Amino acid sequence: MMSTCEATTRSLPGAAVIELSGEVDGTAAAVLTEAYERAVTASPENHDTVVLDFAAVDYINSTGIALIVSVLARARAERRKVVASGLSPHYREIFDITRLSDFIELFPDLDRAVSQFTHPAA
Amino acid sequence: MTQVAPRRLDTFTLASEPGNERLALARVAGTVKDLGLSDARLERLKTAVAEATMNAIEHGNGNRPEIPVEVEVTQDGDEIIVAISDQGGETDLDTSAHETPDLVKKLGGDQSPRGWGLFLIRNMVDAMDVTTDGQRHTIWLTMRTGGAAHDEHM
Repeated sequence: MMSTCEATTRSLPGAAVIELSGEVDGTAAAVLTEAYERAVTASPENHDTVVLDFAAVDYINSTGIALIVSVLARARAERRKVVASGLSPHYREIFDITRLSDFIELFPDLDRAVSQFTHPAA
Repeated sequence: MTQVAPRRLDTFTLASEPGNERLALARVAGTVKDLGLSDARLERLKTAVAEATMNAIEHGNGNRPEIPVEVEVTQDGDEIIVAISDQGGETDLDTSAHETPDLVKKLGGDQSPRGWGLFLIRNMVDAMDVTTDGQRHTIWLTMRTGGAAHDEHM
């Protein structure tokens, strides 16, 4: 099945940003993994924080949650912090129920996440 | 007090193909949209329907398109009941031994990252029941149209 999930990545001083759109389900595995690698390898020494932006995501299911868990596990193993922005109230609730929000700080929107975790280039 | 008989609102079938859970979600949402569920509770029901349909497609019917998943939506007083049936008989998803997902274990590699479906369903609806009649396996999702208490933690 074709994935409807798309990801664009941006490299900012202090944070790698992954902007997701479409559906985060089992078919999004390759998209999410490749986006993570692209984002953190662009300038790895600068990327101690990974921002996942869900503002344009309209569906996350249990296999999508599993993918997010995998990304979080990998980031933690690499000593990177993961934060999330743009989740709808429903998916914020799911992040709470699953306890993902214990490990991923949630921000209402990308601007607020970015302003918290990026720093001016030296 | 007058008892009102349960009212069947919709019944339909879906081919057991990955992705068709989105069709079930959309159709059930359309069926119940005017029955008084808050937006938050409608979103929860949609997630529960999608997850239960995914289980039926994948675990119950083994992703075989020729075996349909059956969905029935009923209103009984202030309860909306969605029944989702497959032909998988009794599945290991029904056992109490089904491992509760533990994020700490998952992050530590002691549990698969997957396994959230049944957990999500249980947490999304007011009641979840499972029945098996021969090969016919049905998950019953109940959502009350009032249910303000369930919104308190939002």
